[in-house]
Amino acid sequence: MTANETIHPTAPAPEIDASCRLPLLALLVGASVWLVVGTVLALIASIKFHAPEFLAACPLLTYGRVVAAANDALVYGFCLPASLAVIIWVFARLSQTVYTLPLVPVVAAHIWHLGVFIGLLSILLGHSTGFTWLEFPRGGSILLFVAFVLIAIPTAASFGFRLEKDLYPSHWFLLAALLWFPWSYASANIFLVAMPVRGVAQGVVNLWFANNLLYVWFSLVGLGIGFYFLPKLTGRPLQTYYYALYVFWTLALFGTWCGLPQGSPFPAWITTLSSVAAVLLIVPLIGVTVVFGRSLGGPGSDGPMGGPLSFVKFGLVSFLLSTLMYIALACPQISRLLEFTWFGVAQSQLQILGFLAMVLFGAIYYILPRALGFDFIAPQFIRAHCFLAGLGVVFWVAPLALAGYAQGANAYSLDASLNWLRISTLGLGFILLGNLLFALNILAMFLTWKLNLVKTLFAAITAPLKVSEVKS
Amino acid sequence: MSADIKSSLPKPPSDPRPEAVRTTLPIWIIVLTLMLLFLGGLYFDNHSGWFQTQVYGPYASVDQLELYQPKSGAAAELARGKVVYEQVCGLCHGADGLGKPGQAPPLAGSEWVMAKGYNRLAHIPLAGLSGNISVAGKDWNMGMAAMGAALPDADLAAVLTYIRTSWGNGASPVPMEDVTKVRAGLGARPQPMSHDMLMTMPE
Ligand code: HEC
Repeated sequence: MTANETIHPTAPAPEIDASCRLPLLALLVGASVWLVVGTVLALIASIKFHAPEFLAACPLLTYGRVVAAANDALVYGFCLPASLAVIIWVFARLSQTVYTLPLVPVVAAHIWHLGVFIGLLSILLGHSTGFTWLEFPRGGSILLFVAFVLIAIPTAASFGFRLEKDLYPSHWFLLAALLWFPWSYASANIFLVAMPVRGVAQGVVNLWFANNLLYVWFSLVGLGIGFYFLPKLTGRPLQTYYYALYVFWTLALFGTWCGLPQGSPFPAWITTLSSVAAVLLIVPLIGVTVVFGRSLGGPGSDGPMGGPLSFVKFGLVSFLLSTLMYIALACPQISRLLEFTWFGVAQSQLQILGFLAMVLFGAIYYILPRALGFDFIAPQFIRAHCFLAGLGVVFWVAPLALAGYAQGANAYSLDASLNWLRISTLGLGFILLGNLLFALNILAMFLTWKLNLVKTLFAAITAPLKVSEVKS
Repeated sequence: MSADIKSSLPKPPSDPRPEAVRTTLPIWIIVLTLMLLFLGGLYFDNHSGWFQTQVYGPYASVDQLELYQPKSGAAAELARGKVVYEQVCGLCHGADGLGKPGQAPPLAGSEWVMAKGYNRLAHIPLAGLSGNISVAGKDWNMGMAAMGAALPDADLAAVLTYIRTSWGNGASPVPMEDVTKVRAGLGARPQPMSHDMLMTMPE
């Protein structure tokens, strides 16, 4: 490193952080709004399921529309832009260079949020495409695609211009994620919406995409970010580089094939291949367990409870559990019982709210004060958020999984699962409270920054000229 | 800009680039992967139907499909014949083929049904039957309308096959083409058959 510094003076951390400031704000402010919108919609959907008379008069809020809008707001509104923001910062820090072209992602972030707005509105108005996780009609999905590419290019370029040549495991995960999403999102939209394939192939493409987004992409991003922050926040090195790399390759190799349930109406070879691939996920699962367990041991500091590290740890444990559930769903004995029940919903919600969102919260709480140069307005909210989110995820996901079991064990009867679903609503309520605290902190920070900007500008205009300047 | 962040967040002593230990991967995890791949291959071999697109779960191979799927060929023909018989002929001749006193003569054990050829037999439902006829040693003098005239050839062939091979009747099946031929030979509005007319034609 010292030899490196003499050749290319690497930028100091505060300068790198400042160069990411505008893209981070543009992505995260919108994302935190969508996070709250998505959780509110999810709460409405959850209540409607066991109390159908709730908001029954409003056609915009029919159950089917609200569920789709809630999921898309959480995934496309929050998870994706927040991931991109964190990736931008992590890449700049890993490369030890200031972020070039920060205005491109700023423009792209606005395009992205516009796309989400159009997409969500179309769903609520009843113009969804009807494909799970691809409900946004053409107007919205094209904007998302363009915005993602616009962000991915300068971010990948900042990897290319890196001054620190040594690769870190997160590079692999996050670079793959930058390529993975545009590829799978474009393919799925082309084959389902633009030039639809027919019959069996439609279902296959849809489920393939859902798996590639929620399982593969989420895992790449969540693990990439988690593997960056785990050693950073504990002060212990990641154990080990090659385990992490092995996780990357096995995840990319086996992960893409999963997600086609055994009972789905596709030729046996497709569903069999998918289950075999899912069981092979045991390998990356073991890999992450080893990395996680070994990197936590040894001397170092864990920081206080409820800080960024707690979020990241919670997220990684959720990843282990959700992968275990995913594998279980692929085993014939278990899938016969749990397939197409609430259990699958529990798994995907754990992946979204328990895993990726938590890792992102931890990262954002760490990054944002550094990028802006001042602390959160209400730092005590962070601990409260951590507590509420942890409690919320447990009370949201566990009852859903039990509801799935009750359903499967009682011949798909919904009555058996209703009480569990009522409890899950409570969990979602906790999550909503936590998310509100998060959004408040982000928005307050954004407003303070804006205010400071106006103040400096005003001061610059009204300041009397210095005597020295008048003379020259 | 000021590097001074008065953050209350847990801040590591410094803010370093994270490091990763670079010890080589232990061999056991690679062995485990290969073992799982091998087992996965075996499972795929047993359950996938080897890329045959007509094999859907829960079936695992073309052989299983043939074992459990409804048959085609002779068995399917019989099943079809039974259905048509019970709907069209069974009312008079009885589901058991024993006939009903005062309604219709038996088909089980009837020499007309079990004859070596089925030419005469095929004429009866296509054209109808009237007058004196002896069935299994008993005389009947009634009439039967052309009960099979409205049936498609395939259905009629299946019914005839069914009555020739059921209830202990051990005669040969009736192919559809022969029913087509008989129907063509009869013309549009055939006269009902009588015992004498039947006896003039080949068996
Ligand atoms: C409405 C009642 C009725 C129905 C329905 C009916 N039959 Fe008959 N069938 C009779 C009667 C009555 C006779 C005896 C005719 C006679 O005495 O000339 C007979 C005679 C026969 C005979 C010759 C005598 C024998 O028992 O071998 C055959 C063969 C026969 N029927 C076949 C059929 C077939 C095949 C069908 C269905 C497509 C059918 N019948 C439907 C009333 C019926």
